[in-house]
Amino acid sequence: MSNPEFKRNLWLSFSESRLVAMPAILGLIFLATYASHAPDARAGEVRMIAISLFIFIVWLWGAGNASAAIIDEMRNRTWDQQRMSALEPWTMTWGKLFGATSYNWYGGIWCLSAFALTGMFAETQGLSLTVMTLCTVAILLHAAMIAVALYTSQFGTRPLQGATVGWLIVIGVTFKYFFDFGLDMSAPAAKFWWGMEFEHVLFWLLTSLLFAICFVFAAWRAMCTALQVPTLPWAWPAFACILTVYFSGQITGETGHPLSVLMLLGLLISVALTYLTLFSEPNTLLLWHKLRILQEKNEWRSWLEHLPVWTTTLVLSVVFATLSYLFTASPPLGNNASLPQPVHAFTLVLMLLRDACIVLFFAFSPNSKNAAGKTMVSLILLDLLLPYLASVADLSELFFFFMPIPTPMTSGHAAWNSTLVMASHAATALVLVNWRLRTAKLQ
Amino acid sequence: MIKIAGLTFDYPGHRALHDVTLTVARNSVTALVGPNGAGKTTLMRCIAGLETPLTGSITVDGTNVLEQPREVHRIMGYLSDFFGLYQDLTVAQCLEYAATSQGLPKFEIDEAVRHTAQRLDLSDRLDQTSASLSRGWRQRVAIGQAIIHDPKVLVLDEPASGLDPEARASLAALFRQLQADRMTLLVSSHILAELDEYSTHMLALRDGRILESRALMTSQLTDARRRLRLDLARADTRLPAWLKAHAQITLHDADIERAEFDFHGDHYGQAALLKALIEQGFAVSSLAAHRENLQQSYLRSVAAHLENQP
Repeated sequence: MSNPEFKRNLWLSFSESRLVAMPAILGLIFLATYASHAPDARAGEVRMIAISLFIFIVWLWGAGNASAAIIDEMRNRTWDQQRMSALEPWTMTWGKLFGATSYNWYGGIWCLSAFALTGMFAETQGLSLTVMTLCTVAILLHAAMIAVALYTSQFGTRPLQGATVGWLIVIGVTFKYFFDFGLDMSAPAAKFWWGMEFEHVLFWLLTSLLFAICFVFAAWRAMCTALQVPTLPWAWPAFACILTVYFSGQITGETGHPLSVLMLLGLLISVALTYLTLFSEPNTLLLWHKLRILQEKNEWRSWLEHLPVWTTTLVLSVVFATLSYLFTASPPLGNNASLPQPVHAFTLVLMLLRDACIVLFFAFSPNSKNAAGKTMVSLILLDLLLPYLASVADLSELFFFFMPIPTPMTSGHAAWNSTLVMASHAATALVLVNWRLRTAKLQ
Repeated sequence: MIKIAGLTFDYPGHRALHDVTLTVARNSVTALVGPNGAGKTTLMRCIAGLETPLTGSITVDGTNVLEQPREVHRIMGYLSDFFGLYQDLTVAQCLEYAATSQGLPKFEIDEAVRHTAQRLDLSDRLDQTSASLSRGWRQRVAIGQAIIHDPKVLVLDEPASGLDPEARASLAALFRQLQADRMTLLVSSHILAELDEYSTHMLALRDGRILESRALMTSQLTDARRRLRLDLARADTRLPAWLKAHAQITLHDADIERAEFDFHGDHYGQAALLKALIEQGFAVSSLAAHRENLQQSYLRSVAAHLENQP
C-alpha cells in the first residue's frame, strides 16, 4: 500500500465485525423489502431502497466522515504530526478522500450491486449512467467537505462552523438531486447547454463530474496551504470562470446573446465569490502588514502567495465589468433609465470595492473582533436604512446618493451618474482604510 | 545546525517574537527556557515549519524552512506540548504510520519499528492500543513517532510535563542516548530541573526576546580550566584573599566558608591546590568540580537582563 494515510484510515475503518455487519444489515433490509412487496413490484422497490441507502451511506454518512478526516485530526491534536510528515499534499488528499470514506464505499458497493442486479432484471434504461452519477456526486460531496474543512481551519475558525458550510453544500446537492429525479433517474428530459442538447441524466453526470474535479482540486489546494506548500492565487478566479461558462451555457440555452450573457454572468459570479471570501477570510492587519513588507522587499511571488483570495475575484470583476460594458451592444432590458444599463457594471464593481474597504476598515480597528458583523450592520445602514428614510421623506437626490442604482425613483439621472456617485463612496472608503492602515498600531 | 536570523512573529495584537537571531549547535541538547508566554512554543513551531513568521529566516542543516518546509520535515522530528495519538491504533501501527508517512522505504519500515520500539522500551507493548497506555507510555510512543525516521534534529515542546519522576528519569536517559547518536535536540520547559540532567546549551527567552544563548558550564569544560567549589568545615577570614592571590584561580564568589572559582590547571594541579590549602591551615571539607545548574544560569540571565533595563 503506497499511501500511508489511506492505509491508516483502512486500519481505523475496518474490523472483522464491521466487515460482516455492513452486508448483513443491508442484506436483511433488501430481503425485508423484497418479501414485503408483490412479485411484480419487488425489483423496483429493492432498486429504490438501494439508491436511498446509497445516498444515506455514501453521500451523507460519507460526507460526515470526510469532514471528520480533517476536523477530528485537529480536535484530537494529531494534525501537527500529519503536517510534519513528508507526505505530499496530493497523497494526503486522496488518502483522506477515499480512506476516511472507505467503509461508506464498502456499504455503497453492496447497494450498487443490489441496484444493478434488480435494474438488469427489470431491464432499466440508463443503469450505468445512474451508477456513475451516484458515485461522482459522492466524490464531489466528500471532496467539498474536506476542502471546506481545510479552508476554514486555516483561519482558526471553529471546526463546527467549517462543517456547517460543508453540510450546506451536501444538503443543497442532495435536494437538487431529489428535486430533479426523486429516486429514479430514468425520467428522460432534454437539457440545452450552449445550444447543445443533452439527456438530463447525462447532463447531471457531466455536471457532477465537472464539480467533482473542481472540489477535488480545491481539496488538494487547501491541503497544499495546510502543509505549508505555497500556491499562487489563480484557482479561485479560474473557478469563477468555470462557473460563468457553466451557468451561461444553461441560460443561453438554444438562443440569446451568448457573449453579453457570459460577461454579465461572469461579473455577477465574480462579485458573489468576492463577497463570499471577503467575509470568510480574516483580513487581519497582520496579513496586510506582511504584504507591505514583501512589497518593499520586491518579493512578488511570496506577495502573491499571501494575497487574500477575495482580491483576485475583485480584479476579475473589474475585467468582466469592462468586457460587459464593451461587448453589450444594447442595454439588455431596454433603454429606460430605470433599468440596468451596461455602465452599471462599473457601479457594481465600485460598490464591491467600497464594501471591501468597509470590511478592512473594521478589520484594522484596534478592536477588530467581529469585523464581518460590524460591516454587515454598516451595509444594512448604508444600503437599506438610509435609502429607505430618504425615500420615505421623498428626498430623491439623497436617495440616489445612498443608492445609485437604477430604480423608478432615480430614473432622472444619467447612468454614468450612478457610477460617479458610487466612485465617491469607494474613494471615501479607500481614504478611511488608508487612514486606518497608517494609524493602526500592529501591536 | 539551526540558524535563525531576524525572526519576528506576530499574533493579532501581540508580538510573540522580536527580531530573534540565534544558532543551535550541531549535536547539542539545547534547553529552551523561559516563563509561560515567553514565545518558546511559537519559536519551536516556526523552526518546525508549522507557522509562518512575519519576517526573518530559518535554516535547518542548510535548508530554508520557509521555502522548503517539506524537505526540512524529512530531517526533523517534532513533538508538540499537547500531542495526540490515534487512540484505536496499536503502538506498532502508530509507529508504522509514522515511518511510512516520513517516507522511509518499504524494506526499512519493519526494522525501523523494531529499532524504535527497542530504543523506547516499547517492544512488549507493540500490540496494545494507544488508548490503553498510561501517560508516560503514550509520551514514549509520541517520541517514537517523532524519531522513527532518525531525524538530524529533534524539537520537543514540554516533553516531560505530566510525567512521574521515574518516567522523567528515563526520558532524560533517552535524550542523552539520542545526543550520543549524533542527534541535535531542542527541548523546551519552564521546569528547569528536568532539563538540567541532559542539556549542554541554554537558550533563555523572555517576552519574545533572547536573554541569553550559550553553552552551559560543565565540570569538564577543558583539561586546562574547570569550575571548582570549595567548602570549609571551619570559617576562615583569610580564604577570599588567599584564593584571589593564587595565580591559577579566577575567583567568582567567595566568603569565609566557601568559594566558587575557575581553576586553570589539570587534575594534578587541582591536587596540588588541595595540598596547598591544607598546608595553609584551611579546614577543607570539600573541593570538587562545580557545574552551574540551569536554574542558576537562567536566573543569572534574568538578573542581568533586569539590570540592563532602563
